[in-house]
Amino acid sequence: MTYVIPVIFIIVFGFAVFKKVKIYDEFTNGVKEAVNFTVSLIPCLAAIFMMCAVFEKSGLSDRLTQLLSPVFGALGIPRELTKLVLIKPFSGSGSLAYLNEIITKYGADSYISRCACVCFGSSETVFYISAVYFAGLKVKNLALPIAIVLISTLISTIIACLLCRIM
Amino acid sequence: MNVIFSAVFILSLLAMLFIAPDQLLPSLLGGAESSAKMALTLFCIYAVWMGLSRLAEKSGLSKTAAKALKPLSKKLFKTENEAALENLAMNLSCNLLGIGGAATPYAVKAVNELEKDKNSFAQKLLFVINATSIQILPTTVITLRAGAGSTSAFDIFVPSLICTCISTGLGVLLYVITGKFSKKPFKRGKAAK
Repeated sequence: MTYVIPVIFIIVFGFAVFKKVKIYDEFTNGVKEAVNFTVSLIPCLAAIFMMCAVFEKSGLSDRLTQLLSPVFGALGIPRELTKLVLIKPFSGSGSLAYLNEIITKYGADSYISRCACVCFGSSETVFYISAVYFAGLKVKNLALPIAIVLISTLISTIIACLLCRIM
Repeated sequence: MNVIFSAVFILSLLAMLFIAPDQLLPSLLGGAESSAKMALTLFCIYAVWMGLSRLAEKSGLSKTAAKALKPLSKKLFKTENEAALENLAMNLSCNLLGIGGAATPYAVKAVNELEKDKNSFAQKLLFVINATSIQILPTTVITLRAGAGSTSAFDIFVPSLICTCISTGLGVLLYVITGKFSKKPFKRGKAAK
């Protein structure tokens, strides 16, 4: 599996040489697109990260974690994972840091860590994606798709915890 | 997004007022700082993948990928827009290969293309697919576990695969079903007028 990325690069570069594409010029053009794209993301990122920071610092996120732990427990999601499951939709880097903490605390091969890894790997940063995809567009009624995604993610999380118990 | 942002922000501000009013400005600045760091990280990812994707585009490789996935994406997204289909195909293939960083720029391009046709059905469907995660190989997690001294870092592969399929399948299913239900009252409303 470590070969996937080198092979992709070799195929694309090889094909480009074969088709006589001006590789340096076009690669630079691609990076130029990346610059514009990243700059266009910064306003959304800044706003969302500020919101997350205040949410975290104000103690509301801890309060919510405490409140939801029993509910999650009843659904078969270990209490230790509540915070991870709650953070993941908002922040990829934040939840990654927290996942790292869980792995070091409980050991890489423990049930909790394996569960955390599966939950992390099979979910996405929903709010971040919605902000990035629809930045500057006039698409309305995003509440329904977001709700659908969150429900599906929750159900797959419950199944993940179940699967890790048997597998 | 406006509603969620305002609600979370205002509630947090109120809580902050009671707990630690002096911490408000530092935490806002901290948030902005981490957004700048995040932007830099994202730029690095996008620079690599958009550079490569430009080559794939110019050499016609993405057209080939789009052709292979066309029957599926045409049916699913209900669009005839060639440029959108090409980006959709690349987005799906990047997701399946587990390079999520490369998938996002394609999705954004596809969403912008679909905007021209006012095809919000396809835009939202693409969002649902991407946001429920369709990663086949969770590379980050496996690397992390291996780094922490796991004896079998790959053993989460099968459960992850099952879960990612379930969440995406369920998401698409729910989206299609709710789409069908919400259309009916809309038509009736029109007829009543």
